[in-house]
Amino acid sequence: MTDLALKQIRKAFGALEVIKGIDLDVRSGEFVVFVGPSGCGKSTLLRMIAGLEEATSGTIEIGGDDVTYAEPSKRGIAMVFQSYALYPHMTVAENIGFGLSLARRPKAEIAAKVQAAAETLQLTHLLDRKPKALSGGQRQRVAIGRAIVRDPKVFLFDEPLSNLDASLRAQMRLEIAELHARLKATMIYVTHDQTEAMTMADKIVVLNGGGIEQVGSPMELYRNPATPFVAGFIGSPKMNLYGGAVAERMGCATYGIRPEHIRLSGEAGTWQGRLRHIERLGADAILYLDVPELGEMIVRAEGETPFAPGATLWASPIDGAEHKFSA
Amino acid sequence: MRHIRPYVTGGIALLFAAVVFILPFMFILIQAVKSKSEASRLSFSLPQEWLFWQNLIAVFKARDYQLLLAYFNSTLITVASVSILVILSAMVGYIMQRRRTPWNAVAQIALFMGLMMPPAVVPTIGLLQDLGLFKTIHGMVLIQVAYNLSFSTLLYRSFISTIPRDLDEAALIDGAKPWQIFFRVILPLLKPVTVTNIVVQSIAIFNDFTNPLYYLPGKENVTVQLTLYNFQSMYTSQYNLLFMNILLVTIPPLIVFIFFNRQIVAGMTAGAVKG
Repeated sequence: MTDLALKQIRKAFGALEVIKGIDLDVRSGEFVVFVGPSGCGKSTLLRMIAGLEEATSGTIEIGGDDVTYAEPSKRGIAMVFQSYALYPHMTVAENIGFGLSLARRPKAEIAAKVQAAAETLQLTHLLDRKPKALSGGQRQRVAIGRAIVRDPKVFLFDEPLSNLDASLRAQMRLEIAELHARLKATMIYVTHDQTEAMTMADKIVVLNGGGIEQVGSPMELYRNPATPFVAGFIGSPKMNLYGGAVAERMGCATYGIRPEHIRLSGEAGTWQGRLRHIERLGADAILYLDVPELGEMIVRAEGETPFAPGATLWASPIDGAEHKFSA
Repeated sequence: MRHIRPYVTGGIALLFAAVVFILPFMFILIQAVKSKSEASRLSFSLPQEWLFWQNLIAVFKARDYQLLLAYFNSTLITVASVSILVILSAMVGYIMQRRRTPWNAVAQIALFMGLMMPPAVVPTIGLLQDLGLFKTIHGMVLIQVAYNLSFSTLLYRSFISTIPRDLDEAALIDGAKPWQIFFRVILPLLKPVTVTNIVVQSIAIFNDFTNPLYYLPGKENVTVQLTLYNFQSMYTSQYNLLFMNILLVTIPPLIVFIFFNRQIVAGMTAGAVKG
């Protein structure tokens, strides 16, 4: 079953077209991540699904209903904002129950639903606090709680983790993924962080310049990127991409090889280069090579790699791991 | 030597401030308790006789307890116009800050005209007469609202610009109607600037002399500042009673200011720096 369908969605601000005709189907229960560089239109697209921006043309269907021009509250969505957007003058319980109290639900029902959401998110002991007395992670959980009580068909997340520090981000990433597994709800998640996209998504939508570049599961995108843009965006450190004469010799427009798909040797190999810098991360090491033939090359090797800066090395691609793009 | 300097400069500053702020007030106090002949000399000497109660009662009794009526009128005008001002300017400020329409520029110009252009007295009186609002308390309330709306709206607008738009959008998704977003989400957050606004406006309106003088003539319409005329005439002036009257008129705003001092400064600077 399809929970969300976008058909030829366009958005223009005056003469500037920021979304250039997007078609997308999201199945029920899927965790979809919109990923792309800043300014690619991913947040605008999410805001159009939420009803905070009106689409210039095209249709949006949620749960089979055309909601292109429906009020945000009537679309069956809930949204978690980057800034959390908690109401500062209300307690956690009031924040979570605000939507229900606006809908004039009975007090007992509101209390029960707030309690259930708080238990899901381990917020029970914080229900009487004001948002300013909470930590970043707790605020994030309250914002998610506010979404849960609405019992939406689709959850929307707008870069929800970018205000958190690295360790908390990893923890919240896990919590959101577990929440998705438990609620089995459809979730759409916007981020510019490819790590978040890779770790959480069932399906990644890579956006660039207002259009969809490629849609697929994380490993599909990693293995078979359709364009050099997707190839450079998915995977860290990013794929080495070479155009021009180098690519021509390989019989393509752009030649790409991932840092982890390069073998290094002190004696022989395909390309010769000088080791400029090495970053040792423990389990692995990132090597920056100056290859006269190609330019800069990034190689991922194991942590104990014996080479030192200044050394002359030979690099060779692993067979079958090369990417050749015709554009 | 070095550690004494701050105290010396601080002392000098305090002394200067005392001369500027406290001496005039002392002068009022001293004149207010003198006898008529002694006060007419307007000298800075202590009174020979302390006539505090006699002067106080005389001021209240003057013109058939006119001062009490004036207190009532002034309070009524102040409370009514400040209430209308707060509600109206918070709403206008919210819409002007949040909604982007071509009308914004027009509203903006109207706002600044309200701040910069001096109101013309005679046409205003003509208009009030045509509307049947001249010499009425509610006409005066409307005048005060109109004159102070621009400043009040600017205050609210700049404060509202510090409230993230995400809050409006979150409330919208939660199912709030526009008026619910305003009354249940935005208005509670405007408390600091509302306190400032209430204090600043109520002091200004309570102390207003010229506008009631122009637009609210008539014995039954007297406001506190106008009672000062009771003791001043071309040939004789009862300075002791005049100063006692000044003292009585100054007290209510002073009390308001003392109580809300801290909030006023907080509200004034709120919106100046993004916090």
